[in-house]
Amino acid sequence: MYPELARRNLERAKTRSILAVVGIIIGVMAVASIGIFGNSMQKSVLERFEDIADTIIVNPKQSKGFTEIEEDDIELIRKIENTEYVVPAKDEKEIVSFKDRKTYSTIYGISEDDLEKLYEVYEGGIKLKGSVVVGYSLAEDLDLRVGNRITIAGSEFRIAGILEEEGTSFAVNPDNAVFLSVDDFDKLFDKDYSMVVVKAESLDYIDSIASSIDSIVNKREEKVEVMKLESILETIEDALSTMNNFLIAIAAVSLLVAGVSILNIMLMSTVERTKEIGVMRAIGAYRETILKIFLMEALILGVVGSVAGAVLSIAGGFAIVSMMGLTTKYILDISTALYIAEGFAVGVFTAVASGLYPAWKASKLEPIEALRYE
Amino acid sequence: MEKTKKEGISMIELTDVHKIYKTEFYEVHALNGVTMKIREGEFVAIMGPSGSGKSTLLNMIGCLDKPTTGEVIINGVETSRLSDRQLTELRRDSIGFIFQQYNLIPTLTVLENVELPMIFRGLSERKRRAMELLKLVGIGELRDRKPNEISGGQQQRVAIARALANDPPILLCDEPTGNLDTKSGRDVMKIISRLNEEKSVTVVLVTHDPALSDYTDRVVRIRDGRVE
Ligand SMILES: Nc1ncnc2c1ncn2[C@@H]1O[C@H](COP(=O)(O)OP(=O)(O)OP(=O)(O)O)[C@@H](O)[C@H]1O
Ligand SMILES: [Mg+2]
Repeated sequence: MYPELARRNLERAKTRSILAVVGIIIGVMAVASIGIFGNSMQKSVLERFEDIADTIIVNPKQSKGFTEIEEDDIELIRKIENTEYVVPAKDEKEIVSFKDRKTYSTIYGISEDDLEKLYEVYEGGIKLKGSVVVGYSLAEDLDLRVGNRITIAGSEFRIAGILEEEGTSFAVNPDNAVFLSVDDFDKLFDKDYSMVVVKAESLDYIDSIASSIDSIVNKREEKVEVMKLESILETIEDALSTMNNFLIAIAAVSLLVAGVSILNIMLMSTVERTKEIGVMRAIGAYRETILKIFLMEALILGVVGSVAGAVLSIAGGFAIVSMMGLTTKYILDISTALYIAEGFAVGVFTAVASGLYPAWKASKLEPIEALRYE
Repeated sequence: MEKTKKEGISMIELTDVHKIYKTEFYEVHALNGVTMKIREGEFVAIMGPSGSGKSTLLNMIGCLDKPTTGEVIINGVETSRLSDRQLTELRRDSIGFIFQQYNLIPTLTVLENVELPMIFRGLSERKRRAMELLKLVGIGELRDRKPNEISGGQQQRVAIARALANDPPILLCDEPTGNLDTKSGRDVMKIISRLNEEKSVTVVLVTHDPALSDYTDRVVRIRDGRVE
């Protein structure tokens, strides 16, 4: 009966109730859609990096004065178990020119077999016997084709292949690079290996491989730095979820506004219904009963608004995600449900919390004073 | 009949009840030491000039308000000792109120208004009893109307049915016919006096209308917060 009474009281002040519900809908939608958007963003960013998570990069410890990795150490790393491959590379920055165009790019010295392990070819083939392979953006910038000849530090090289565009990558970003055989590299520059890329057989071995490298190579002196890409991913994940929470918090401000409007309309309604409250108290309603009826009204507003807001937030999430140019495939993911549930819970909580004070005030009215109220 | 009433046990007892309303600028002594006894099954009218303290007195009896000093005993219970919750239960179970302005709940139907005190009490079988009461006051056919869809006289009958919902031994009426035409007023008074006679409900009636004293056993006159 009390829920029914509450419902009719809300219906009596229809416009007001609708406005309160709209406030909650907007608030819940804002919170949940932004949650959905953040979730989609997190998922699609992580997906992009997923296939590199099982990679470890070994660099010289520059803070200790090391600039190169010794070949003996590379041999030791190769002996570690559960690695899929170990790829050492040398690198240098140099100007690359083609016809009258020039650009500053990274030159890598790497074996042909290793390069094949790391990247896919877009055009031509991966051949490094006297020829070079270039990255996608470099090819675009200098307008390069397979067969063109580029000049690096005074020597000319024929382009055997152009790599697929990689986008983001942590180890070696090939897009703006030129790959030479180690022999060719040594003819141009006098440098030792400056990095080793180690891929684990699976994610499970990442930690054991990393600690093996550390204990074997850094036994006497801290010569190299071991970087797990997985841990970078975790950092990114953390940063993204912090940002997401921040956005949700901003969206929650709109719920705060909805809460204030519920507080306001419920205070109005306690004043308007003062006499009625007095009558109910006179004929045997406890203070708690009055409290219950008012809280029920707030709860109904909250639940109705939050259900509608939760449903609409799927559309809202879809709109934001596609507006931001992200893939929409994660919107119907189960993880989305968490954010919808969060929006729903926050919506209901806001409504009930806002109803607390008016309900308490209504329940505190003295029967005789309430009855006398006109 | 007269005799048993006079010798019956006391249902309502007031001893030296004072009520002082304090406002910022002045004090109003609405009741100045009222002592009175009303026996079970009595029908008492309280009369007096406007502002003499009739409503205040009735509110004390109805446990809607507390005396500044003095004691109100209802059905043997000293009400000054009761908590707010216990007072609520006393009103719910032992007192039926009939107000001048009917005071029905506008969102509820006629039937639901009559059910309400039973809901507060947690009774089942409410609908049937509410229907019986509506028939008793002669408006069974209006059960599904809302208060604003029926006449004042009909609303007051609903209020009477509501007051009787929990079968209280006491009925308190503050100018129940004040807003009604002569005919409706007479009908309402007939219902109330029948309840008093047939079910020996104790009735306290505040009124300005001397004609109503025909229905009552006794008239208590109040002036300036004192029983004359
Ligand atoms: N809440 C209040 N605050 C201050 N004074 C009050 C209050 N209620 C009643 N009074 C005063 O107490 C006195 C008695 O009031 P009460 O309502 O009991 O009179 P009444 O006999 O019922 O009058 P009426 O016949 O006009 O209904 C009046 O002077 C009134 O102004
Ligand atoms: Mg009065």
